[in-house]
Amino acid sequence: MANIFPRWSNWLPLKIIFCLLTLGGGVSAGVWYYLNPEYMRVGYQPAQPVPFSHKIHAGQLNMDCRYCHSYVETSAYSNIPTTQVCMNCHSQIQGTSPKLQVVRDSWQTGKPVEWVQIHKTPEHAYFHHSVHVNRGVSCVSCHGKVNEMDVVYHAESHSMAWCLDCHRNPADYLRPVAEVTNLDWKPEGDKTQREIGAALVKDWHVNPPVKNCAGCHR
Amino acid sequence: MSKRVFQHPAEAQTGKRYWRSLGQLQDTTEFRSWLHREFPQGASEVEGNEVSRRGFLQFMGASVALAGLSLSACRRPMKYLVPFTKGVEWSVPGKALFFTSAMPSRTGAMPLVVTTFDGRPTKVEGNPMHPVNKGATDIWAQSSVLDLYDPQRSQSVLSSGKKSDLAAFHAELAALLKSAGDGADLAFLTDGAVSPTAERLRHLILAKYPKAVWASYEPNGHELENAAVAAAFGPDLEAVPRLDRADIVLTVDRDILGVEGEIASVRGFAAKRKVDGPKSKMNRLYVVENRYTLTGGMSDHRLRLPASRAGAFLKALATELAKLSGDAGLASLASSFKAPETKFKDKWVEETAADLWAHKGGALVLAGRRQPVAVQALAFAINAALGAVGKTLELRKSATAPTVGIAALAETLKKGQTNALFILGANPVFNAPADIRWSEAQAAAKNVIHLGMEVNETAAKSHWHVPAAHYLEQWDDARASDGSYMVVQPVILPLYNGVSVNELLAKIAGLEADPMDLVRDTFLASSPKKGDITADWVDTLKSGFRKGSAPKPVAATLQTASVAKALAEAPVLTGADKDFELVFITDSKVDDGRYANNGWLQELPDPVTKLTWDNAALISLAAAKKLGVHTGDVLKLTVGDKSLEIAALILPGHADASISVAVGYGRTEVGSLGRNVGVDVFPLLTSTESRFRVGVTAVKTGRKYALAVTQEHGALEGRGADLTRQATVAEWTEKADDKTFFKKMGIDAHAPENFSLYAHPPLDDIHAWGMTVDLNSCIGCAACMTACQAENNIPIVGKEQVINGREMHWMRTDRYFASEGGDVDEPEMVSQPLMCQQCENAPCETVCPVNATVHSEDGLNVMAYNRCIGTRYCANNCPFKVRRFNFFDYNERSITSLYRWNLITEKGMADSLQMQKNPNVTVRMRGVMEKCTFCVQRIQEAKITAKVHASDSQGQTAQPRVPADAFTSACAQVCPTDAITFGDIRNPESKISKLKDDQRGYRLLEYLNTENRVWYLARIRNPNPKMPDAARAGSASKGGHGHSEKHESAQTPTGGHA
Repeated sequence: MANIFPRWSNWLPLKIIFCLLTLGGGVSAGVWYYLNPEYMRVGYQPAQPVPFSHKIHAGQLNMDCRYCHSYVETSAYSNIPTTQVCMNCHSQIQGTSPKLQVVRDSWQTGKPVEWVQIHKTPEHAYFHHSVHVNRGVSCVSCHGKVNEMDVVYHAESHSMAWCLDCHRNPADYLRPVAEVTNLDWKPEGDKTQREIGAALVKDWHVNPPVKNCAGCHR
Repeated sequence: MSKRVFQHPAEAQTGKRYWRSLGQLQDTTEFRSWLHREFPQGASEVEGNEVSRRGFLQFMGASVALAGLSLSACRRPMKYLVPFTKGVEWSVPGKALFFTSAMPSRTGAMPLVVTTFDGRPTKVEGNPMHPVNKGATDIWAQSSVLDLYDPQRSQSVLSSGKKSDLAAFHAELAALLKSAGDGADLAFLTDGAVSPTAERLRHLILAKYPKAVWASYEPNGHELENAAVAAAFGPDLEAVPRLDRADIVLTVDRDILGVEGEIASVRGFAAKRKVDGPKSKMNRLYVVENRYTLTGGMSDHRLRLPASRAGAFLKALATELAKLSGDAGLASLASSFKAPETKFKDKWVEETAADLWAHKGGALVLAGRRQPVAVQALAFAINAALGAVGKTLELRKSATAPTVGIAALAETLKKGQTNALFILGANPVFNAPADIRWSEAQAAAKNVIHLGMEVNETAAKSHWHVPAAHYLEQWDDARASDGSYMVVQPVILPLYNGVSVNELLAKIAGLEADPMDLVRDTFLASSPKKGDITADWVDTLKSGFRKGSAPKPVAATLQTASVAKALAEAPVLTGADKDFELVFITDSKVDDGRYANNGWLQELPDPVTKLTWDNAALISLAAAKKLGVHTGDVLKLTVGDKSLEIAALILPGHADASISVAVGYGRTEVGSLGRNVGVDVFPLLTSTESRFRVGVTAVKTGRKYALAVTQEHGALEGRGADLTRQATVAEWTEKADDKTFFKKMGIDAHAPENFSLYAHPPLDDIHAWGMTVDLNSCIGCAACMTACQAENNIPIVGKEQVINGREMHWMRTDRYFASEGGDVDEPEMVSQPLMCQQCENAPCETVCPVNATVHSEDGLNVMAYNRCIGTRYCANNCPFKVRRFNFFDYNERSITSLYRWNLITEKGMADSLQMQKNPNVTVRMRGVMEKCTFCVQRIQEAKITAKVHASDSQGQTAQPRVPADAFTSACAQVCPTDAITFGDIRNPESKISKLKDDQRGYRLLEYLNTENRVWYLARIRNPNPKMPDAARAGSASKGGHGHSEKHESAQTPTGGHA
């Protein structure tokens, strides 16, 4: 009796398994790498309607973040400044610069400037700015060195694991409240960040939600 | 040691039993099948008739393929951040802003504080500074936000049904007024909520057009009561019951704690019901009524009696009181009243009279507003004899000048002389009494101008319709039920260019004033101070009302002669013995039909019947047997030459010879939610002297109708007996020192001590959230359910889904009847709000395969929606059945298109409805489990506030802690009787830390060792020991599941459902 299956079919199951494993591994690796906020979000740098440079304002001129983002200490949101805030200075300075035409138009027509959103919290997570900045979490921890950016980009991943990294080890990130908006702050004297942070955690009873889902999801 | 079996033993068949429905009492197969499923039959099946399972898979395949072809979804969507151009005063993005205001109503406006986010009102709360409500509200105030955003509100001026604009209307108005002369051809019809400014403008208009007719109409209004007050005490007076001063209250056909009372009465009653211990003084409530109401549920003694016999009861009572007091005047009044011969329950009248007389000066008798003038006048005469006037019953000058009734207006109109009829807010085409034939009268007017928030039946028959502004969109003023002056502030610009009543009246009066100035002028005119009132005005806006503006009560004496006249002239209302009486009841939700398009109200189960999305003919079991019908069988009701067909609903405790039907349903010209919901019973209403009719015949039609009743939903298998606990004052006094008296009732009396096999993670946060519900003051009004719906973005699901048991309310108010030996005629009623019990050992958490529901350190059983995959194991394992599942995308789809295939269905929420949503609560999607969170958004906000302020200084600080009672949950905040208390049980200064250790405190299903964070405080009834039925009242300690009895089977291996 002749063989029903040809000889090459002996290897067929192994080949199929190999292919499936490769394919599965490839898909997993692809998803793991490409669908990760690390890849999806970091570096996102859309063009804004006004070529506003944080590097000039916050870096060169050393303006405090809170001059424009004025409610960051009281509200859940760090507000985008109104046109009025821009015009506080720019009615005097650079009053005719073509770069500011959009702002002047907005001031005259009453139509707001539509800034492109860069940092976006997922809708099921409730992030609260004021509780972070009032407890010694600096702007730089989440937004990067904005004072060195000409055009702001997404510097950190803002994934849940990234959030929890700090919630679990706040001592690695905390600084005195007065230095929160000082993006170039370095630990002073001979103390390390961890020593300063640990002291603050102890003094202020810093206890961010780690296992309490409702801390962020509600 | 015998094996522990955590099964609940079968309920005792003797003694007192608690039951939700007749189905449960009789243990029908339908009820069994409800119990055995986590969700009821069909709830977990796709039974849409449009797409079969096979078709569904085909479509799915196709749509996946299509999605693969177009990769457009892969691009990151560009979103914009749009700041204001100029900063807005007070506005901080992300923070709520609060304004005082008031919701106008015919029974006195509700003082409010409105929560707004970025300029859109999302929620209203009571004004905590106002003495009338002290921060509490009711279901209508809570639901009014949804009315504001109703996408089906009237949005444009209509001229003969065609779209027009305001300019055209103003031109027409000018032409009409030009030819008005002395106003003989002008007529006005308003509803019952007339503001002081509108009243002022009315006088200006009448000065200009002295012959104009000014009428007002409220189908559920006070006309009969006002006439009775006029007969008893003189004209232009209003009667104000002071339940906060009454020790003994008798209500006769008056739902004073429900739809026929004001929030002040409810609060006053509850204040007299708060008890610390058995020695606390408590009021006593006698209720005579034809159907179970919330008032009946709170009663210590209840007599079921047809509404048409209320007069006979009051006559008997007056006679008895006259005997006790020797008051010849009262005796002659009583004897002059020709009431039908009626026999009352043994000694009921005698003992009630004796108790009232014994508490002379602290007693109060209230008759129903639907009763004939003579009957209500007789009740006032009894009050006068009891010395109640000026004490428990105050009289006050009416704030508005008298108006013409709708019947007289109809007569005027029918003469055909009226050139312009202005209808402001009222909807007479739908709800005027049938016998005045309003539609004919309205047609006789040459021009009819209707101002209203919806294009309703009246608008459809008017020449002009002008969209009205919602109260949150307009400047206005109002009087609270204590008569104090309040300002209604706008919190948003009119969404659809609505016009306020004041603006229209000012236009007619020839004033060109800003709407705010109209109100300010009224404020100035009524100001006690003269000159500059700016400071007063600002202070009034801040506090919401003018302090000290509540009018003082006036002294009055009974005018015996006019009462005698009214009594002598009163016709005898009796029908044939085989006939029924038909009682028109004010609906507990849609009122007279004005809230018919409000989904929250339509879906709210009626507090007593638990009926949603319908009205029904309420009858007793005996009447149902006589007629041969069950719940859901359609009856034909005939009276005179009019008849209608409506489904019957058997309600325990209903009078046998009586049928009650709520008015306000069966609207035809309204938004899609309210259209043709229920049956319109206004065609049977007449404008004669009472709001019930006798001589009604009822026959079975043989037709069936599906009623969406939620009373069996959420029943806990075999565990119903001891969820609500109560005792009488006498029983409590006996057990005053027994700390475990209430804790060891029912099954808890013989359950073994709890112990746990597991080590539980510590709940070591500085806070521990908990709640207490005082069943002694909870009246079951369901305001908490509506507040929860508004706060937590809970969608409505529609009638069909409610029938399937898929309603989404996070909390429910369970209504139990309790009786000895299954007596369905005269059971007691208890309401019990039930929300997630936040068990420390939560059974739902252990079964979740994806850790979507876990515990937080502060003791919350939290739900992470984005983790939930919808296995529904948690709901299955929840002993309290408080978890709700999104079977459909209720937020994204209209309730009529839930079953339609995805690609051909319009999805998304109306823009206006999105504006209502609380921005701090996730809007849940299909396939996600949800439940009460103890308002975790408020908890987080409070914690964050504490933390933000903790580190103001450098160096060591105390651990941030939320101050005691700094905030509360939505249900506790709204509660008119302060029955719900929420707070931090670990903070010794908080109210709850004391309340939870009250002797009356107990937790549900304690023997399951779930360690609930919700404590209930048992209800105490205060029966009169001399009454024949006193022994039946209140006690939960009698019968088969007594406190002291041993029940061995609970611990045997075969225990449970033997």
